[in-house]
Amino acid sequence: MKHLLSLIAELETAALNPIKTLKKTMDTSKKSAVGCFPYYTPDELVYAAGFIPVGLWGGQTDIKLADTYLQSFCCSIMRENMEQGMRGQYDFLSAIIIPTYCDTLKCICENWKVAVPQVPLIPMVYPQNRKIQAGIDYLVSEYKRVQEILEDLSGEKVTEESLASSFALYEEYRKAMREFTAMAVHYPITINAKTRQLIIKAAYFMDKKDYVPQLQELCRSLSALPYEKFAGKKVVMTGIMAEPAGLLDIFVQNNVAVAADDLADSSRQFRLESSRGNTVYEKMACRIADQCGCSLLFDAEKERGQLLVDLVKDTGSDGIVVAMMKFCDPEEFDYPIYKKELEAANIPILYLEIEQKMDSLEQIRTRVQSFIEMLG
Amino acid sequence: MFLGVDIGSSSSKAVILNNQREVLSTAVINTGTGTRGPEKAVATALEQAELITSDIEYTVVTGYGRITYDKADRQITEISCHGRGAFFLAPQAKTIIDIGGQDAKIIRLDNNGRIENFVMNEKCAAGTGRFLEVMARILDCGIGELSDLSLRTTKELAISSTCTVFAESEVISQLAAGAAKEDVAQGAHRSVANRIAGLAARIGVRQKVVMTGGVALNASMVACLAQEIGHEITVLPMSQVVGALGAALYAVES
Repeated sequence: MKHLLSLIAELETAALNPIKTLKKTMDTSKKSAVGCFPYYTPDELVYAAGFIPVGLWGGQTDIKLADTYLQSFCCSIMRENMEQGMRGQYDFLSAIIIPTYCDTLKCICENWKVAVPQVPLIPMVYPQNRKIQAGIDYLVSEYKRVQEILEDLSGEKVTEESLASSFALYEEYRKAMREFTAMAVHYPITINAKTRQLIIKAAYFMDKKDYVPQLQELCRSLSALPYEKFAGKKVVMTGIMAEPAGLLDIFVQNNVAVAADDLADSSRQFRLESSRGNTVYEKMACRIADQCGCSLLFDAEKERGQLLVDLVKDTGSDGIVVAMMKFCDPEEFDYPIYKKELEAANIPILYLEIEQKMDSLEQIRTRVQSFIEMLG
Repeated sequence: MFLGVDIGSSSSKAVILNNQREVLSTAVINTGTGTRGPEKAVATALEQAELITSDIEYTVVTGYGRITYDKADRQITEISCHGRGAFFLAPQAKTIIDIGGQDAKIIRLDNNGRIENFVMNEKCAAGTGRFLEVMARILDCGIGELSDLSLRTTKELAISSTCTVFAESEVISQLAAGAAKEDVAQGAHRSVANRIAGLAARIGVRQKVVMTGGVALNASMVACLAQEIGHEITVLPMSQVVGALGAALYAVES
């Protein structure tokens, strides 16, 4: 148990101190880092080109400079990223990749070039019609274009072998994450809502080569323990992310465990296993084509509702918590559709509107506690 | 004896019940969390019931200030307490509308008084008592006079800004352009009613609809709201202390 707790504490510390963790990762690996904006970026390519890909999912900084480009009605993650870029906090990055999944991301590409010229920008366009062959072909061509830029930056050629090896490492990472989240359901006390989130988040700032064995060791230690009896409530979370920082503390204080998630910064990153494609590029493109239930990827079938119903049923959860990122159009457009399906399945829903930086969480505390009282 | 304390953002309420769930006293003090309001409300309720602190067997606290109040045996949210209190007073109640000083809540109950669903306004003064307070200040009348002023309206006047700060500027412009205070007051009530109706639509409204909270004492607000949601609204007796009553009922059950 002591060993397990120390493994957990190590990953929690890594997630709580992103800059320190990343600097350590860069020192140990002797690699530079490339920032990866939400929501999906070709991390395997970045890694194969000799960089550490680092997830840039905002922060809790007071917004002053970013207001010039992104007003208060814009996505708070993008405002945070822009603020940190303008404050020079990303100057140590060799470049950043901004994919264009939403209107804000599209605009931010132009803003970045002017506001943060010292950090090179690699824009990346993902195909709207991602499932048809033309979409897959287009995405492969984008990967190859981005690869050339990365090669120019690092002076290192991405070979077939280095890309295959990088892809294999990322597939191993995604598999380990799936195993961890599946296992965490049975240990809601040791892996409480906050701990679960921090363990997942730590991966953004670490070399996957180091992170994966640590997580696998954690899972081994965890599996040696008997399943935990939990008197609280279990929920499934959906949305972009479970932030601000204090949000999941409220869950823990109210004895609420996250049994599964459909969060863009968590399970959506790793829930899909690569299953088709001849080359690594095609495998990467097919992972995007085959991803379902994500608001950022065009989904004519609207599969998210059923996905959430299944998650609740499979994990025996008591309800769904929607962490609605304020001003996130793609997430807001999805909500009425899946809400209807959840209601039809008699699944209780708690809707929380969130921003990355919220000065007071008291209203959220009341909602979470009321929801738990309502569940009985 | 059992005590329920409801500490809101702008007022503190207390209710004392006996074992038979009979109301022995109620108290409302117009200062809320972070002030001496809660202590005064409890002291007033005790005095009215001719009781002393040691007579209280169990205390439940609710409301925005419940977390920091350390004299209770248990804290329960205002959603649950309003549901409990409203069902006690009106067992046919299916939808509860509570407009407080800082937030607004719609609560749906099932036939047994259990909470089926609820929705709260976001962290914004629009659609709350605070909006009406700001309007009363601009119109240079007391919050208690706003309702009467509104009922004397002769001409429909829309306040299109949802945001309280923008609405303040809009109303000042309208007054400067010669709009009648009565019409502006009516517009303010309709603005809040619109907002609450939108909120209620998110979880659906079912009869019987009851209204609790301090704003329920405002007849113009109740009329505007009934018109917007298309249902008759019953204002519960003791509407301001329904949350504290619910807390006291939980105290009896504890």
